[in-house]
Amino acid sequence: MKKYIYYILTLCFIVISCEKDDFCVEDTTPKMVIRFYEDANPTTIKAVSKLTVWADGLDSIYTNQSLDSIAIPLNLYEDFTKYLFASEEQIDTINFTYELNDIFVSRSCGYKTNFENVDTTAITKNWIKNISIKQSIINHDTTAHISIFH
Amino acid sequence: MIQRHILVFFISLLVSSFSFAQLAQDSITQKATDSIQPKTEKHGLRIGVDLSKPIISFIDEDSKGLEILADYRIYKNYYVAAEFGTVDKTTDEDYMNFTTKGSFFKIGANINLYKNWKGMSNEIFLGVRYGFSFFDQTINSYTPNIEGTYFEELEKTPDTKLNDLTSSWFEFVVGLKVETYNNLYLGASLSINKMINTKEPDNFQNLFVPGFNNVSLNNIGVSFNYSISYLIPNVKKSK
Repeated sequence: MKKYIYYILTLCFIVISCEKDDFCVEDTTPKMVIRFYEDANPTTIKAVSKLTVWADGLDSIYTNQSLDSIAIPLNLYEDFTKYLFASEEQIDTINFTYELNDIFVSRSCGYKTNFENVDTTAITKNWIKNISIKQSIINHDTTAHISIFH
Repeated sequence: MIQRHILVFFISLLVSSFSFAQLAQDSITQKATDSIQPKTEKHGLRIGVDLSKPIISFIDEDSKGLEILADYRIYKNYYVAAEFGTVDKTTDEDYMNFTTKGSFFKIGANINLYKNWKGMSNEIFLGVRYGFSFFDQTINSYTPNIEGTYFEELEKTPDTKLNDLTSSWFEFVVGLKVETYNNLYLGASLSINKMINTKEPDNFQNLFVPGFNNVSLNNIGVSFNYSISYLIPNVKKSK
């Protein structure tokens, strides 16, 4: 009798000890990665001086920093996000358009959103000279999706 | 939720083992005074219900369920056993909320390891089951997981219904049954379940399966019941 109780108790402890596996370790919604290149020499990476970046109507994500690449979030509840890029007192606007695709990841992470058919509309060219889309699907944030030439 | 399941299990275990001890004593004293023992062995179909599910339904309105269980002794300490039940449960996770509705059926065998005194018919059993479940999942809502809160977070309510899903699994069961009154048994059992096969829906995962319960990362589940059952005695043969 006692022996079996021990078995049952042991089993209970096993059950309790393998309880929560509740940490989100997978990749979730990616950010859009932009790299900056020199317009005259499109293969050369060129940092933007005093770069300030913000989405229309929101706070800035980067403020007065000298950077050659940035990662910015896209709005999940619209099919576009309008970003403003300021460098040395000059402001440019880029409107990014995309389609949303929600993908199931796991119990603890829930869903992530991928962005497909990424495109740009309504670009102003004050300090930005050109822009090119390197990857029209944003499903990771390890390599650049957009190149900006200045 | 699971913590509560475990708590209920412990309570049931405690209650059952107390009644077990009590019963053992009763029969000893009885044996001392009464020299004529009814030398019978109980046979027959034992049918019961799981008491924990209605109690949990009462406490937690997101969890409704019913489970009927039956077993039949076929040879010495060997029993065939089956469970049938329905579940309607809403699970709330960090980034989503979904409802699982369906039925399950389990069939297998138990072996009783408890050496009874003559005339007693208690059990401490080990068992195996094959479980099968058919169910629907409804994704009530989810919030896409994004690092940071630069844009305002919004919950999406797709109300997507994923129908005709199935799962099958193996169970290892340990439990006990105690005869409290004549032919009336109280029992508790715990199962460790290992998924064999599950038909996953598109863009979702069967995170909860009726009868199997929460599906963990390594496809293991835990279920338990706390039952009251009645033995319909159809065979009483002398030993």
